[in-house]
Amino acid sequence: MSSLPASPLRSNDLRQSLIISGGFVLALLVINLLFFNTGTVAVVLLSGLYQGMLFFLVAAGMSIVFGLLDVLNLAQGSIFMLGAYTGFAVYGALPPETPLTVRFIAALVGAAVAGAVLGGGVEFVLLRPLYSRPIFQIVLTFGLATVIEQAVRAYYGPAGLIPIDPPAAIDTTFNILGGQFETYRLFIIFVGFVLMISISLLLQKTRLGIIIRAGVQDSEMVQALGINVRRVFTLVFALGTAVAALGGMTAAPFLGAHPSMGAQFLLTAIVVIVIGGMSSYEGTAIASILVGLTRATAEQISLQYLNTPVLASVSILLFMVIVLLVKPNGLFGRD
Amino acid sequence: MTPPAPLSPRSWLWPLLLVGLVLIAYLYAAATGTPKAELTGLARLHSAAESVYCERGLNPVGRLLLIEIGLVAAAVVITQLWGQRWGRWGASLQLNGWYWLSFLMLIAMPFMLAWRTESSVCVRGRAFFWESILVELFIFAILAISYNLMFGFTGIVSFGHAAFFGLGAYTVGLTMLHWQWPWFLAVAAALLVGVLVALIKGFVGLRIKGLYFALFTLAFAEIFFILFANRIMVKITGAEDGFTFPVPSWLNFTTNRFFFYYLTLLTLAACFFLVFRLMNSPTGRVLRAIQNNEERAQMLGFNTFHYKLLVIVLAGVMAAAAGILRGIAFKGASPNVLGVGFTITPLLMTIIGGMGTFSGPVIGAFTLRLIEELLRDTVITIGDTPINIGERWSLILGLVFILSVMVFPYGIVGTWQSSRLRQWFRRRMTKDG
Repeated sequence: MSSLPASPLRSNDLRQSLIISGGFVLALLVINLLFFNTGTVAVVLLSGLYQGMLFFLVAAGMSIVFGLLDVLNLAQGSIFMLGAYTGFAVYGALPPETPLTVRFIAALVGAAVAGAVLGGGVEFVLLRPLYSRPIFQIVLTFGLATVIEQAVRAYYGPAGLIPIDPPAAIDTTFNILGGQFETYRLFIIFVGFVLMISISLLLQKTRLGIIIRAGVQDSEMVQALGINVRRVFTLVFALGTAVAALGGMTAAPFLGAHPSMGAQFLLTAIVVIVIGGMSSYEGTAIASILVGLTRATAEQISLQYLNTPVLASVSILLFMVIVLLVKPNGLFGRD
Repeated sequence: MTPPAPLSPRSWLWPLLLVGLVLIAYLYAAATGTPKAELTGLARLHSAAESVYCERGLNPVGRLLLIEIGLVAAAVVITQLWGQRWGRWGASLQLNGWYWLSFLMLIAMPFMLAWRTESSVCVRGRAFFWESILVELFIFAILAISYNLMFGFTGIVSFGHAAFFGLGAYTVGLTMLHWQWPWFLAVAAALLVGVLVALIKGFVGLRIKGLYFALFTLAFAEIFFILFANRIMVKITGAEDGFTFPVPSWLNFTTNRFFFYYLTLLTLAACFFLVFRLMNSPTGRVLRAIQNNEERAQMLGFNTFHYKLLVIVLAGVMAAAAGILRGIAFKGASPNVLGVGFTITPLLMTIIGGMGTFSGPVIGAFTLRLIEELLRDTVITIGDTPINIGERWSLILGLVFILSVMVFPYGIVGTWQSSRLRQWFRRRMTKDG
C-alpha cells in the first residue's frame, strides 16, 4: 500500500482531524443539552461511551489487521458473537457452587482464548493461501461470517440466550446527576479503556509493536529486514479476533447472546473503521467513541419522539456517508 | 482467461431462427387443436393451441420441440467440427451455437418435464411444480449475471447487491398496493428506482476506492433493510412481516405459471444477451482493462469513473428486474429480499459457475439451486446426530462457498476453459477446419 513518510504535513492533518472530532463531540453535547435534562444527558453520554467501547473491541482487530495484512476481516462480528457463546458455554460448564467471580473471569478468558485460536487458525489455514488473490480474501471472510452464524444457529437455535449474571459487585445501578446507570456498563467502559491503552502501549513500546507499525507502512520491507512477517501476521490476526471475542463475552451479561448480533456489530465496526481511516489505530479508537456517542444520542432522540430506536442505526450510516463525502479516506486516513 | 468470443456479423440470424422454431410449434398446435366455440379471432387461435400444448405427457408440441432440438444440436455439433467451411453463418453458429441450443432447450424444458412426469404444463402437477423451481432459478440467474457484470468482468466488489433486488420487489409491490398503479407503470417505476439507487451508489461510492466501496455498499444496503423492516414503516411496508399485493391475473404466478416461466426466461435471455453484447463491444474491452489494471486504463485516457458508473447502473437495472419478477411471483415482499442472503447467493453462484465468464453465473445458479432441490429431504447422520440437508442448507452453502474460494476459484466454466479436455477439442477443431 502507498504510504507517506512521517512529515510535518501529516501531523498537521492529525491535528486537523482531532479538532474536527472535538468539534463533533461538542456539537453532540450541545444537541444533547438542548433535547434532554442533565440526568438523561449523563446517561446518554455514558451509554455512548459504552457502545463505543464495544465497537472499538470489534473494530480494533479489523483495523490493525487491515493495515498490516491488507485483509478486511468481515468475520470479526461473527467472532464477537462466538465469543459471547463461548463465554456462556464456559460459564455453564463450571459447577454452580464456584464463586460467580471465578466463573465470570473464566468465561472472559475462555472467550479470548477461543477467539485467538479460531483467528489464528483462520489466518493460517484459510487466508494464507490467498495472499496472491486479495479480492478472494475479503470474499472468503464474508462467507466465513455466514458459516459461523449459521453454525451457531444450527447448534444453539435461532432464539439466542438470556444474559448471564455478572459478579454481584458490578451488578448494580448508580445515580449520576439524577439519571440511573448500570455499573456493569461502566465495567464495559473500563475494560474497553484498558484494552485501548494496552494495545496502544503494545504498538508504541514493544518490539512486536514496532514490527507491526513498520509492517503497516511497508510489509515487504519488514520482510527484507529478516523478520518473519507471516508469523507476525498470524499473531496479529489472532490478537485481533481474541479482542473481539473478549468484547463479545464482555457484552454478553448485558446484551445476552443471539446469532444475529454478529452482523449488527460488524456493520457498526465497518462504519467505525471507515470513519477512522481504515488502517489508523488512533483513528479507530477515536471514531469508535464518536460513533458510540452519535448512536446513543440518535437512539435517545428517536426513542423519545418516534417511540422506536430506528434512528440509532441509520444515524451512524449517514454519519459514515457524510464523512466519506467530505474526506474520502476517513477522518484519520492517509491519502 | 481466454479472450471473449467475437460476435459474428450474422448473429441476427439466430434469434430469428429461434423465433421461427417456436412459432412453428405454436402454429402447429393452433392448427391441429380444437378451439373453444364461443371465441373468435386470435383468442380462438390461442385456445386451439392451448388445447394441444396442455395435454398430459409428451404432446405434439413437445415432440416437435424435441425434433427441433435434435436438428439444432446436430447443426451445432457439425459446425463445432467443420464450422470454418460454412462461411460466416457457420462461424457464427460455431461461436454461439451452444448458447442458442441451451436457450432452445430451456424453452422446451416444461414439455420435457411434462413428458418425464406424465403431467401437464398448464395445471397443477409435477411439471407445474418444477416450473416454479425453474422460475426461481432464473431469477437467481439474472441476479448472478448482474453480479458477475460488476464483480467478474469489471472487478467492482460490492456487498450490497440485495439493495437493488429488494428495492425492485418493494417498489413494484408498494406502487401497485398503495396507489393502484397499472403493472407497466409499477414496473417502470421499479426499474427507475434501480437506476436511481445505482446512480446514488455510483456517484457517492465510486469517489472512494477499492475496499471502501465494498464496505460502503454493505452499509448502504443495510440502511434499506433497517428502514423497511422497522415498525415505524408498518403501515407502508408491513415491517418485518412484509406485505402482499394484488397482481393482474395474467401475471398470476399460481394460476398462469406457464406464461410466467417464459416471461422469466425471456428476461434472463435478455440480460444474458445484454451482458454478452456489452462485453464483446469496445466498451467491454475497457471494462476488462479496468478489472486488470484500473490505473493503466486511466493512463490510456479512459474516464474509468464513467465506465464503472455505467456498469453499476446496468447491474442495478438487471437486479431490479430480478426483484420485480420475484415480487410479482410471490405477490408480495418481506425484508429478507433486502437481506445479505440475496447478496451472498449470487456471489456464490458467480464464483461456483466461474466469475468473468458469460455462462458461469447461469451454470452456477443451476448447479446450486438444483442440488439444493435434490438434497432437500435427504437426512445424513454424522455420529449420532441426524442432519437434515434442507434445514441446514445455508450452513452447507457457506462451507461450499469457503471451499470453492479456496480450491475452485475459477469455477466450473473457468476450470473447463483452462482444462486439457477443452484444449483437446480445440486442437481437433482447428485441425479439421
